[in-house]
Amino acid sequence: MSIQNLQTFDPFADANKGADDDVQDGLVHIRIQQRNGRKTLTTVQGLSSDYDLKKIVRACKKEFACNGTVIEHPEYGEVLQLQGDQRENICQWLTKAGLAKPDQLKVHGF
Amino acid sequence: MAEEDAMFDPTLIKKKKKKKTAFDIDAALAEGSGDAIENVNNSISNNVADDNKEEDIDDNVDIDLDFSKKKKKKKKPFNMEELESTLPDGKDKEDSALDNITNQDDSIMDDNFDLDFSKTKKKKKKKKDLDELIAEADDKQDDKENVEDSTVSWTGSDRDYTYDELLNRVFEIMRDKNPDMVAGKKQKFVMRPPQVVKIGTKKTSFANFTEICKTLHRQPKHLLDFLLAELGTSGSVDGNSQLIIKGRFQQKQIENVLRRYIKEYVTCHTCRSPDTILQKDTRLFFLQCETCGSRCSVTSIKSGFQAVTAKRAAIRAKTS
Ligand SMILES: [Zn+2]
Repeated sequence: MSIQNLQTFDPFADANKGADDDVQDGLVHIRIQQRNGRKTLTTVQGLSSDYDLKKIVRACKKEFACNGTVIEHPEYGEVLQLQGDQRENICQWLTKAGLAKPDQLKVHGF
Repeated sequence: MAEEDAMFDPTLIKKKKKKKTAFDIDAALAEGSGDAIENVNNSISNNVADDNKEEDIDDNVDIDLDFSKKKKKKKKPFNMEELESTLPDGKDKEDSALDNITNQDDSIMDDNFDLDFSKTKKKKKKKKDLDELIAEADDKQDDKENVEDSTVSWTGSDRDYTYDELLNRVFEIMRDKNPDMVAGKKQKFVMRPPQVVKIGTKKTSFANFTEICKTLHRQPKHLLDFLLAELGTSGSVDGNSQLIIKGRFQQKQIENVLRRYIKEYVTCHTCRSPDTILQKDTRLFFLQCETCGSRCSVTSIKSGFQAVTAKRAAIRAKTS
């Protein structure tokens, strides 16, 4: 007979996972970078690795009518990369899809 | 007790008589409709009759209780019948007056009964004239609580006040009592706007960068790190102490980033005073306020993930 409450469930499993991802503060950082000319690039760093980023990028590409990829980064984990200034779009989309709360989103840039 | 009653009763009766006539006039003025006036009259006479009866019965009852009972009775017929019967144009005026009356009633009920006497007297007078009544109600409120502002929007209504209203109220009180604080609030952070000039098509110059660092009392390196991290680009300070940033940026954009920097790293998070010191303490930056003494950690500057934007061929050429 075993005590149900004391089984091998580690309540801190998630926390540990977050630590080696170096998702420093649980925030989703949305940044913009200038490319050549007027072109820009939007990056989304810090989305939980529980989500399938490839699916997300597929949906985003369709929704915002832009190209995009998922980049595997040794330090920051999987990072979403979209063409153009999609900061507004991605913020709205992430909150609407329930992938992040508005106070988890940190938008950088000008 | 008996003496008090004796003193108390005659005045009450007088008042009621006055009240009756006075109210009729007012009602007539405010409404201009015969039916409505009749209704009001009925309600008032019922009212008075009730009250008179009560007085006879209640001689031995505690005065405090007496009051509340009467008031409740007064209140109910006024509110219900009049509100139903008044015409729309008369209604507003009536409503506000009624609200004032009910409000006063409430306050009186809460007070102890010494005060009651004076207040009831006032009340009786007030019923002569609606305008007077409103004015006096204001006066009285001022007497009672100096802080009570005429802008307090829930005065004269039975509804619950909202959190925002309470907040406004407390800030008004604070401003009233501390004129110094208002002055302190006005003392805003004045800073020259950043001078941003294009250099060719690929670079931007932030000409008064060092000057702004001085006005903000921050190390140029710290602000530089922040700017470059936020803009996702690279840059450096040149010989003329101007900052050269890679990429094209407008003054408005730089201003936005500066504003964010000031909010996070310059003004105190507690009191918003710009009189602060940024200290580094075991890998973390702390913002120490010179005005209120608060000390809090600020987020460290991290540029985070940087996408590759340069031509890949060029990178390959560099590394190999
Ligand atoms: Zn402070």
